[in-house]
Amino acid sequence: MWSRPARFLFLLPAVVWVLVFTVFPLGYSLGISFSKVENRMEVTRERVPLVDDEGNPVLNTRGEPRTRILVERENITEWSFEGFANYGRIFRDRQAISAVRVTTIFVLVAVTVQLVLGMGLAVLFNRKLPARGLLRSVMILPIFATPIAVGYLFFTIFYEEGGPLSFTGIPWLSNPDWALVSVILVDVWQWTPFAFLVFLAALQGVDEDLLDAARLETESEGQVFFHVILPLLQPVIIIVLLLRLAEALKLFDIPFALTGGGPGIATQSFSFLAFRTGLRYFDVGYASAMAYCMLIVVMIIVTMFFNRLRRIY
Amino acid sequence: MAVVKKRSSLADGFYSLLAIFAAMVVFFPLYWAMSTSLRNPRDTFTVSGVGVPWLDFEPTLKNWIDQLSTAESVNALANSTIISISATALALLLGLPAAYALARFRFKLIPNKDLTVWFLSQRVLPPVATVIPFFLVMNTFGLLDTHVALILINATFILPFVVVIVRQTFLDLPIELEEAAFVDGASFLQAFLRIALPLALPAVVATALIIFAFAWNEFLFAITIADQNARTIPVHMAGAVDTRGVQFWFMAVRSLIAMIPPVVIALLAQRYIVRGLTLGAVKG
Amino acid sequence: MSILRTLLLATAMTAVGAAAASAQTVKWRDDGGADLTLDDGTVLSTAAGELGALFGPGEQPFEGAEITVTVNNSGPKGGISGPLYTFRPIWEELSGGTLNIVELPFGEHYTKMMLDLRNGTGQYDAFMVGAFWYGDIAVGNYGFPINDLIDSGEYPQWDLADMPPALQTLHVWGDDIYGTLNDADGQVLYYRKDVLTDPEWNSQFSAEYGYDIPEPPQTWQQVLDISNFFNGKNWDDNDADPDAGTVLHLKVGEQGHYHFQSLSASFVINPGDEVTRYDNVYWFDPTDMTPLINSPGHVAALEFLQELHKTGPAAQVGWSLGEAWDYFLRGKSVFVFSWGDVGSLVQDEDRSNVKGLLGASILPIAEQYWDFETEEWVDAPEGRQVGNTTGGSWHGVISAYSENPEATYSLLALMAIKPVSMWNASYGWTGVDPGYSYQFLEPLGQATVEDYVAAGWNADDVVDYTQAYYDTFYAPTMLTYLRIPGTFEYWDILDKNLSASMAGEFSAQEALDFTAATWEEITERLGRDEQLRLYHEAIGYGG
Repeated sequence: MWSRPARFLFLLPAVVWVLVFTVFPLGYSLGISFSKVENRMEVTRERVPLVDDEGNPVLNTRGEPRTRILVERENITEWSFEGFANYGRIFRDRQAISAVRVTTIFVLVAVTVQLVLGMGLAVLFNRKLPARGLLRSVMILPIFATPIAVGYLFFTIFYEEGGPLSFTGIPWLSNPDWALVSVILVDVWQWTPFAFLVFLAALQGVDEDLLDAARLETESEGQVFFHVILPLLQPVIIIVLLLRLAEALKLFDIPFALTGGGPGIATQSFSFLAFRTGLRYFDVGYASAMAYCMLIVVMIIVTMFFNRLRRIY
Repeated sequence: MAVVKKRSSLADGFYSLLAIFAAMVVFFPLYWAMSTSLRNPRDTFTVSGVGVPWLDFEPTLKNWIDQLSTAESVNALANSTIISISATALALLLGLPAAYALARFRFKLIPNKDLTVWFLSQRVLPPVATVIPFFLVMNTFGLLDTHVALILINATFILPFVVVIVRQTFLDLPIELEEAAFVDGASFLQAFLRIALPLALPAVVATALIIFAFAWNEFLFAITIADQNARTIPVHMAGAVDTRGVQFWFMAVRSLIAMIPPVVIALLAQRYIVRGLTLGAVKG
Repeated sequence: MSILRTLLLATAMTAVGAAAASAQTVKWRDDGGADLTLDDGTVLSTAAGELGALFGPGEQPFEGAEITVTVNNSGPKGGISGPLYTFRPIWEELSGGTLNIVELPFGEHYTKMMLDLRNGTGQYDAFMVGAFWYGDIAVGNYGFPINDLIDSGEYPQWDLADMPPALQTLHVWGDDIYGTLNDADGQVLYYRKDVLTDPEWNSQFSAEYGYDIPEPPQTWQQVLDISNFFNGKNWDDNDADPDAGTVLHLKVGEQGHYHFQSLSASFVINPGDEVTRYDNVYWFDPTDMTPLINSPGHVAALEFLQELHKTGPAAQVGWSLGEAWDYFLRGKSVFVFSWGDVGSLVQDEDRSNVKGLLGASILPIAEQYWDFETEEWVDAPEGRQVGNTTGGSWHGVISAYSENPEATYSLLALMAIKPVSMWNASYGWTGVDPGYSYQFLEPLGQATVEDYVAAGWNADDVVDYTQAYYDTFYAPTMLTYLRIPGTFEYWDILDKNLSASMAGEFSAQEALDFTAATWEEITERLGRDEQLRLYHEAIGYGG
């Protein structure tokens, strides 16, 4: 029954859709990444008399017929195959190397902090607390907050002359190292609640009897946590880790809004650089090569987790 | 015994304070935006302390009125609403049958699990890898700066959520109900529409809310494709920076306008967020 | 879709109780001139014939035409975009057409324009461009030359000759005129006259530095000394905190590199009557496109800028124009060197505490400049003045794809006529800065102090201000303006490296060496021979 051909009708539209809108563009940009693409436009103009609704020529104040201009355009795109030249450039480009560094530091620090802090908060909220429901609701507010808006919002918060954190005297956005810290802090603000929420749900699903049994063995709550609870939560932790790694690698909105990638290029992430290269300098071949390198990294991460994912779904 | 009890209630107090402190840290930026949005421009940096309205400064609704009365803001709100709702509807239309198929039917050439993970992997693709070709294709079809282009791309990004999350919900439903319907002569479509879908409705609604929020927040494609006609709220947001620097008061208003809908959604869909954001891998 | 939008719009309108008032904006007088009424009630009178033959009572020559113009995002009362909103109803009434204004964030404007032009989308009829985009527009044949339209005499009347030659060149490419008169950009030095002329401060200063405070300062070293002296002292009673020396706007991607350009000009540019391999060049060696940007002159200028930066608030590394200007307007710094906006914003007492205390002059000079030929430092000659046209001089250029170039031109020309331009330049919020003959005071120009005072100016402020701009635009030595294809990218790279060096990440030498290396790559990619040819064209190098 469940293997009749009709099953394809249910599945195919979604599969075709993804192929058309994801796989095709990816193939296209793979092509671009091996090429130099030159795009230019040839324009010709022709003056034609302006006519009114009845087809009579429209005259100007001096009684001459008014004209309008018809524009004809021809888009000429020239592709030339460049082999791996665009890929080679990445390794010599100081900006690209810096972007890899920035993105790597960001991903490692931000994701680690989010997981550790999220777990700590989850354990905290797993206790009996006054108004726990309300506090938990407050905690999840940042999760869906528009990232670009969050970036601008924190620009006002990190503002060094009169912002609410200016009393610290920390050069939040004007010092290259602190600027990266600030970007990380914003991401931590937004995504720790996600880790927290998932871990809390998982903690609440842990079998109480199992914990009671463990508590008979040891006095230390720490031991119970590290030897019983943490191993139980391992699949959940891995899912959160994977999702956060993949999302964090895409880092774009926050530096765009908060720092503009600066000072200098201290917070210019890899996505940001690829975006600028392709859509500001119109160096689309190089930008596509960068995007592909990033894609490969993401694929490696996904593959690393692939077997575990298969087991979950 | 008494001593132990006292210590634990002391600890309880400490942990409660810690939790309240954490919630305050999380809430502060949103509070600050509200406070800034109610200030006169000249009060922006001169207000002392944490800027409590009435206490530290005389609040005004001027910035809100200024922003909400400009056609650009209203258009951006309308565009974001149209694009997010349409993309959500499209993603549900495509995704629900696929979710059902992956939960119920058996595919042999590529196992169901692999198909599911394939859908999931779309979600982790770096969007910057598709933005340039997508731009060129949309240009070829004359779809730049149109709602259609942004609806198409957002539907693509949020489709994996629908497939993966709702599939999990379908899996949790007892298959016997549908099989009983087949005995009564129902088709697959009838079983799907009349039995499975209504039972999964709460999860579908929650999923719809979550993917709406994602579409609402999308920025990279919006800034690339939209100029005027399809300018969404996040793009409008980026426009609060002008050639003369940041207008903090407008920025606060605009960021709140942008954030309020998704934040409300986060509260509404609370129960489903865990499952939603982990793509069905963790049940909340 | 449109229902939803209408509903939302209606709700918003009701919410604020705003009623769209449609007043008559154009009134034709019997003498053939017209009175244009702006939204704030101001009436601008045009002379007979000034609006051109096309416009007239009962005429709406472009009825039904819909044109779209892009502009930097600043809103209906913001810089450059503001005047478009102000004159929209007037143009719509005169022409019968409809004007759509598309505001784009500063960082996105160039991109959006080039995407539209390169892909032939043709959504826009005109762009309010920065002059440094000309290389891409003119070379790509994406602009619509307006020579014929100007010559026809049918359109609102303005004259390219009202501009100083240094600005004229920014509006043309070869023989083709692309730009209409709008904004005149250049950086001058603003200072607090009351502070520099205070006898008590002066005696302290001369005891410390061995000379009297010069007003205005003649050299950059004097600016640095004065900045160092006043930085950290509470010399202004705006608040109880110490005030600063020089404030800068240095945020990456927000035009911070212009500070470096205009400051370094006098460290770098070799004076001479014409452009040679060594004289009057700043960007590249005109024989082979080798970047000059890491020359000893440039490096010394950047090191100097780093010193000057220490006399201002540290946070300015993350500041764009608005924040830095407001700092000066609040009375927190002695100096700011920036565009004409500052002078007119000082007059706006809602934002400014320093009206009537303003001094302004052409930028000071370096005591020595680097001679490219002999490769050594040379003392600046007596009376050396180095001007600049730093900035965008934002103005309208018509797209090659426009289907209504005449209608579009009629709008841009309307905004270029003398009464409009004069009005624009008098008010700070318009972002339109003065630089035309009728904006300079008699006898250099045709304006009077009374004209400005009528627009709310302090009489003392305006004298210094207009003189400073006259000197800057007519200086014997000018900073050459880069207008070759890829300028946006060349400058973006420079901007990032400068920002990194101001934040202390790189030394001056490193930052400019990195810039030079990347510039070589860009030049290679864009084609060295072609770039060289266009560079010669852009700077007027004869070989």
